[in-house]
Amino acid sequence: MRGPEVGAGGPSPHTPEVFLALREMRRAKLRFALLTGAVGLLAFLVLFLQTLTGALIEQFIGALEHQSGQVVVFGEQARRNLEGSVVPADTVDAVAAVDGVAVAGPLGEGTFTVEADGELTDAVLFGYELGGPGAPTTLVEGRLPEAEGEAVAPSDADGEGFGIGDVVTVAPGGYQITVVGQADDIRFSVTPALFTSFDTYAAARRSVNPDAEAVPPSVVVADPVEGTTPEELARRIDDQVPGVDAVTRAVAVDSAPGVGPVQQSFSIIVFLCLFVVVVVAGLFFLILTVQKAGSLTLLRAIGTPTGDLVRSLLVQVVAVVVGGLVVGTLLLYGSLAGSGGGIGATVDPGLVLTNAVLILVLAVLASLAAVRRVLRIDPIRATVPGGATA
Amino acid sequence: MRIALRELRRRPGRFATATVVLTLLVVLLLFLGGLLDGLFLGSTGALRAQQADVVVYASEARTSVLRSRIEPATTDEVAAVDGVDEVGGLGVALLGATVPDRADVADVAVFGYQVPPAGVPEPPAPGQAWADRSLQDEGVAVGQTLVVGPAGVPIEVVGWVDDTSYLLQGALWTTPDTWREVQNANRPDAAVGPGVFQVLVASGSLPPDELAARIDAATDGATETLTKDEAVLSLPGTREQNATFTSIIGTTFAIAGVVVALFFALLTLERVPVYGLLKAIGTPTRSLLAGLLVQAVVVSAVAFAIGFALVAALAAGIPSGVPVRFEASRAVTTLVGILATAVIGGALSLRRVVKVDPASAIGSGS
Repeated sequence: MRGPEVGAGGPSPHTPEVFLALREMRRAKLRFALLTGAVGLLAFLVLFLQTLTGALIEQFIGALEHQSGQVVVFGEQARRNLEGSVVPADTVDAVAAVDGVAVAGPLGEGTFTVEADGELTDAVLFGYELGGPGAPTTLVEGRLPEAEGEAVAPSDADGEGFGIGDVVTVAPGGYQITVVGQADDIRFSVTPALFTSFDTYAAARRSVNPDAEAVPPSVVVADPVEGTTPEELARRIDDQVPGVDAVTRAVAVDSAPGVGPVQQSFSIIVFLCLFVVVVVAGLFFLILTVQKAGSLTLLRAIGTPTGDLVRSLLVQVVAVVVGGLVVGTLLLYGSLAGSGGGIGATVDPGLVLTNAVLILVLAVLASLAAVRRVLRIDPIRATVPGGATA
Repeated sequence: MRIALRELRRRPGRFATATVVLTLLVVLLLFLGGLLDGLFLGSTGALRAQQADVVVYASEARTSVLRSRIEPATTDEVAAVDGVDEVGGLGVALLGATVPDRADVADVAVFGYQVPPAGVPEPPAPGQAWADRSLQDEGVAVGQTLVVGPAGVPIEVVGWVDDTSYLLQGALWTTPDTWREVQNANRPDAAVGPGVFQVLVASGSLPPDELAARIDAATDGATETLTKDEAVLSLPGTREQNATFTSIIGTTFAIAGVVVALFFALLTLERVPVYGLLKAIGTPTRSLLAGLLVQAVVVSAVAFAIGFALVAALAAGIPSGVPVRFEASRAVTTLVGILATAVIGGALSLRRVVKVDPASAIGSGS
């Protein structure tokens, strides 16, 4: 029993409860290391999944999210899938004629094989009417395209041959596009998006496929006049233009294929992981408290206040969880180092912090069962033979 | 060993903790596995069903079926390659289709084919299609006419085929001409000329690698030929998806191992006096160790059974947008994995058991 040492002051700079808690952890290294490891791995999974979901979604729909058109008008049959949408060319005029539309223009989207930096790679072209809606909103360098054959490329694709001044050649066909600007977060389906004029997009289409009969827009993008909300405008376009499905940009992003199911599945997994953290931490400390019941009863009998024992327990909970969070965060950094999980995901300190606080609160709540057990200890039992351990 | 089993029977409460946590982890593992299988199988069905050794793409398509175009002349070149026995063209259009009496549009993949994939009959009459059974969920029935794409090309469903969906869209297997009609009417910007396909499937008497190399050599680099397995993995996102999910599943197994190790370490600690006593009366350390591992295995087997039952019960409640698919093979690998993990985790307490000194039984018993 280490009872008499407790609260004796001693050389330790710690308060008695911290001293007791840490001393016990040092004595039972394997157990606490395993628990810290389990919490660490679970914290890693929670962080990794959320980082991945956020990055994946940004990589999948970034270009759609960061184009300027506030209302996106899909073909009725596209199920709000940009890649699956085609609208007849005259839809642009039909949308423009709707009351409340300030400006409307075509947006063409297509994936092409291009030669960049001497290598064949994939690129998505976003063709919009220059000066109209559909321009990238996150320009960080250079300028927007002003003529045919010019494009804005993603700022994170610099090293892939999409830097300012680089010439990208559409293959087959050899149509050339020059990068004149760079914008943040404009990938689509993980592929770099090049924002060009609609005519450039159409020319690239024809260059690739001489069989192309016509190049219709994929969607129409529109902005409302002042005083009309995008929601209202989308409703009006839906009512007045046949064969289309008009939604706000935010709705278009959320209904992009895969975004909903990915978010749903990953939230189920994250929820399960958090639940496992609570169960593991809660049950571990409960078992530990039950196993220590004898010693705790003795400590109470020699006058250690219940508060000290509870605080000692909480110090351990916090120490284990903080240790686990450090392990989890390091694992996260490790797994995203280099390739960023293959999709350029980066550690978001805000996300880490929110989850750390959440896990800490959940673990403390989960340890309440053990706290209750400590509070119920009756010091008088120490005087009954065998009573201390009962 | 008998004591270990008896303890499990008499004091199940002692093992409840580990069982509850492991059950949750089994649910997580089965769900993750189901999601991976659902995404993988739902995306790759049409390619996996191909009865061919290799898939031939235009080299500039970077192994994208949708962007690839194979001209009839190239098809002839491939067919003439020594070692190629059979060549067939394949084309696909990803579109929405209006189902009679349904408000929602169904996502379909209209395939034109020459060589029937496994489980798919010979091409039907023009304007007709064999439909993937997954379209049943969208309200499609045999005998119905679906109106495909914004141009509204009618296709009549004449029968069901299984496990042939493509990129999570239900396949409609039609003649090459029907596919071209659908493609050209709905996608004038990606129209195909007569005799043009997107990819070719070929089989022959040579090993697939060699066949692929010969075809690419014969077309002078105009094609990029992959074995069927490579082609399946080259579908957009498939490789990344597999890698991500495999690492998540691996981490979950590691957590299960740590949890087992943790709880058996606690349990072993409680039992130190008992182990001392048992050793003092002559029980060999070996049987104590065996007992411990048996308990770890039984606990994880029980956790697996409960977890499996839970997932089976919950499966019905999963939203239809989440592409989960529960395969028997996944359940088996999860069971084997969790048992192996339990043994490894339990083994961490072995040192402690070995170290117990029988003489301690004579002392205070603590």
